[in-house]
Amino acid sequence: MDIFFQLLTTSLLLGGIYALMSVGLTLIFGVMRVVNFAHGEFIMLGMYLAFWGFTLYHLDPYVILLFSIPLFLAIGFLLYGMVMRGIIAASHNVQIFTTVGLSIALQNLALVLWTGDFRFVRLDYSKTVFRFWRSYVNLPQLIAFAIAAVLMLTLFALLRWTHFGKVVRATAQDREAAILMGIDPDRIHRLTFAMGITCAGVAGVLVSPLYSVYPTAGLQFVLIAYVVVVLGGLGNMIGALLGSLIVAGVEVMGSFLLGTAWKEVLYFLVFLLVLIFRPAGLLGQRGAETLGA
Amino acid sequence: MQTKPPFRLRLLPYGPGLIYFGMIALTPWVIRDAYFLDTLILILLWGALAGAWNVAGGYAGQVSLGHAAFFGLGAYCAVLSTVFWDFSPWLGMLLGAVLSTLAGLVIGYLSNRLRGPYFALATIAFAQMLLIVFSRWRAVTMGSEGLPVPFRTGLINFGFTTKPPWLFLALGFALLVYAVSVFLERSRLGYQLAGVREDEDAAQALGIPTRRLKVIAVVLSAFLTSICGTFWAQYIGFVDPFYVFSVDLSVRFALMAIIGGVGTALGPFFGSLLITSLESYLRATLSGVQSGLTGIYLIIYGGLLIIVVRFLPQGLAVWLAQRLRKGGKRGVTADA
Amino acid sequence: MSLLTLDRVTKRFGGLTAVNQVTAEIHARDLVGIIGPNGAGKTTLFNLISGFYAPEEGKILFQGRNITGQPPYEISRRGLCRTFQLVKPFGKLSVLENVMIGALSHLKRVGEARREALKIIEFCHLEAFRDMPAKSLPTGLRKRLEVARALATRPRLLLLDEVMSGLNPTELQEMIHLLRHLHEEGITLLVIEHIMAVIMQLCQRILVLHHGEKIAEGTPIEISRNPRVIDAYLGEELNLA
Repeated sequence: MDIFFQLLTTSLLLGGIYALMSVGLTLIFGVMRVVNFAHGEFIMLGMYLAFWGFTLYHLDPYVILLFSIPLFLAIGFLLYGMVMRGIIAASHNVQIFTTVGLSIALQNLALVLWTGDFRFVRLDYSKTVFRFWRSYVNLPQLIAFAIAAVLMLTLFALLRWTHFGKVVRATAQDREAAILMGIDPDRIHRLTFAMGITCAGVAGVLVSPLYSVYPTAGLQFVLIAYVVVVLGGLGNMIGALLGSLIVAGVEVMGSFLLGTAWKEVLYFLVFLLVLIFRPAGLLGQRGAETLGA
Repeated sequence: MQTKPPFRLRLLPYGPGLIYFGMIALTPWVIRDAYFLDTLILILLWGALAGAWNVAGGYAGQVSLGHAAFFGLGAYCAVLSTVFWDFSPWLGMLLGAVLSTLAGLVIGYLSNRLRGPYFALATIAFAQMLLIVFSRWRAVTMGSEGLPVPFRTGLINFGFTTKPPWLFLALGFALLVYAVSVFLERSRLGYQLAGVREDEDAAQALGIPTRRLKVIAVVLSAFLTSICGTFWAQYIGFVDPFYVFSVDLSVRFALMAIIGGVGTALGPFFGSLLITSLESYLRATLSGVQSGLTGIYLIIYGGLLIIVVRFLPQGLAVWLAQRLRKGGKRGVTADA
Repeated sequence: MSLLTLDRVTKRFGGLTAVNQVTAEIHARDLVGIIGPNGAGKTTLFNLISGFYAPEEGKILFQGRNITGQPPYEISRRGLCRTFQLVKPFGKLSVLENVMIGALSHLKRVGEARREALKIIEFCHLEAFRDMPAKSLPTGLRKRLEVARALATRPRLLLLDEVMSGLNPTELQEMIHLLRHLHEEGITLLVIEHIMAVIMQLCQRILVLHHGEKIAEGTPIEISRNPRVIDAYLGEELNLA
């Protein structure tokens, strides 16, 4: 029975992190209708930010977190203007390959600047585990979960209750109508994109004590994020939460039952099954996948 | 009634292709440097792979980011059939092609259910699943460390000790892909695929069986990718699941095709020429310590991809050709 | 013999019945118009006939054969071709290539298709734009291209969905001219239109749809006097010429 609680706890902690990584992806798609194939690279950049902050200035990742938010927002604004703005109205192929090109550029930027060596953020308490009720919890994982949860709640609150949030949701639902209401879609897109990649960057900072850091580190996470957002329904924030918990659960269960080697097969299987039978996702609109929008 | 122009003029659109392949074919008599010949072989191989991707991605408009699945199957079937059953790698290649055709049918089915980014994501997932299976299935594939390819000399064993035979074999593969592409551009199938690519509903209304054609294109693309994967395995001599099924590899095929030009048969080969030659040059001139710097060209190519796909959708090859002369291109063309 | 028979064709979308028990017969060499207020189900009917939708009830017979529920490309191959209300040109391809693709529906060789396409382009007065990409054409020419492309499939029956809308008076006259010419060549035409003057001029017979039902059928004069039709259009003036 203890095992059950352990699995549950681990799933929850993992799910929280996955949620933060995925929520940005689904937000960007929901508002801009673009799948950001470079999303993983922002997670990777967050990890590197934490690494260098820690290595050079002995700063805790959670301190780095504070100024990672404005930093990633700034990067988001910059990249939006340079790259993303022009592809909103473009064909699927242009959108896909623009973000793929961005992904290539960012990965190799990291490679050139920081080499392909694996780096580690080794905190004093990286390995600290403590007993929480009936299961064991890793401290950095718990902190990551807690902060991710706080950030996501803030994001949800922002979208649900502020005027800005309503404007974003309006733009997501019907861009033309939003324009008629006097909303500047360009501004909303820019803010949304920045927020989306900031979520990814922050997630990267948070997981830096838990995973090794290298230029293609983003790949493993973005693949999970794809599964999460498709499962939950592209563009659906609650869906991203739901999807994260399901994927984390599948991964933890799979790891437990089949060993760590095969767990990934499980969630990719889930992914392909979802794409075959219910591509719009659990909470998505039926038929969205045939329009590609 | 139009009369056919003289033979010489009809050959004109093939001029660039003849020059490209012709020059490469003549090189072994002029240059002996193994590294240079190696670069040419790789240019041909990546060109063929990009061209194979283009059959589905460019001509049929089904953008896949999981073509490494077919590549890896081709590579693994060749090496495994030699290791386990002592087959000639050519039989392994056939096996790989069969498996890839089946996989292509699955992907083709998905292409009829999913559009745009959804389809791209599905192909990524498919290739990733194969990656995981092949890297974990220790009993069959020796797991994640990869598998060295047994080397025996002779055509039947798909192995040579010197570069020139490899070059001519690579030329064969490349010309096959090129010929298929030219056929697609100028044939009824090609025109119909262009219609499918532009507007499926309109194509249907004009008697085109769009679903079937998409599957045909994907399967053809898978087949060609797979046989090139076999060549690669035999040439490089080592099959690593984390490489042969990787997303990076899939993206590479698309990258070369798009930068070179998805609308023409020579475009992907041009893209390969640009990228592979620069890569080869950098690898040669930069020592191990600076190996990180070889990533620079990829930063440039990432940026170039962004620019080309948006501003030069016909690709660099056609763009350059248009700037050099007023092209008289026959056959139907495509944009990214 | 009837070329196209619609037998109590019905299409439902969830709770909405878009086409309700529509029955009609089109004979070879007819020039029939379909009119009706917006939302009457005209385009849905075209989608049903051409195979883009499958009806919940009813049968559709073309040249005596049951084509109900067949895929669009098969129906097109049999000689029933339709155009789209919102034109769907193959944008990046040239006008010639667009029409060639139409011709390739029944021709096997590209060379033959090219020759045929050139003839059709001449017939439709599009020669000047032959090598231009379709997306660079203005609306009027796009509509003409849409017709030319459909014509290239050598249809027995052509379904034209609002090919007149968005045309200026000159283009309108040219299109009417083209359709008359097509009819003279022996092609049966079924035409959806909103512009009353055109329909009245052009068609021998008119079907009127309203809320998915056929409420009237007859000659232009009969239709213009039909109280149900007048009612459906809420007093909209029906001009005879």
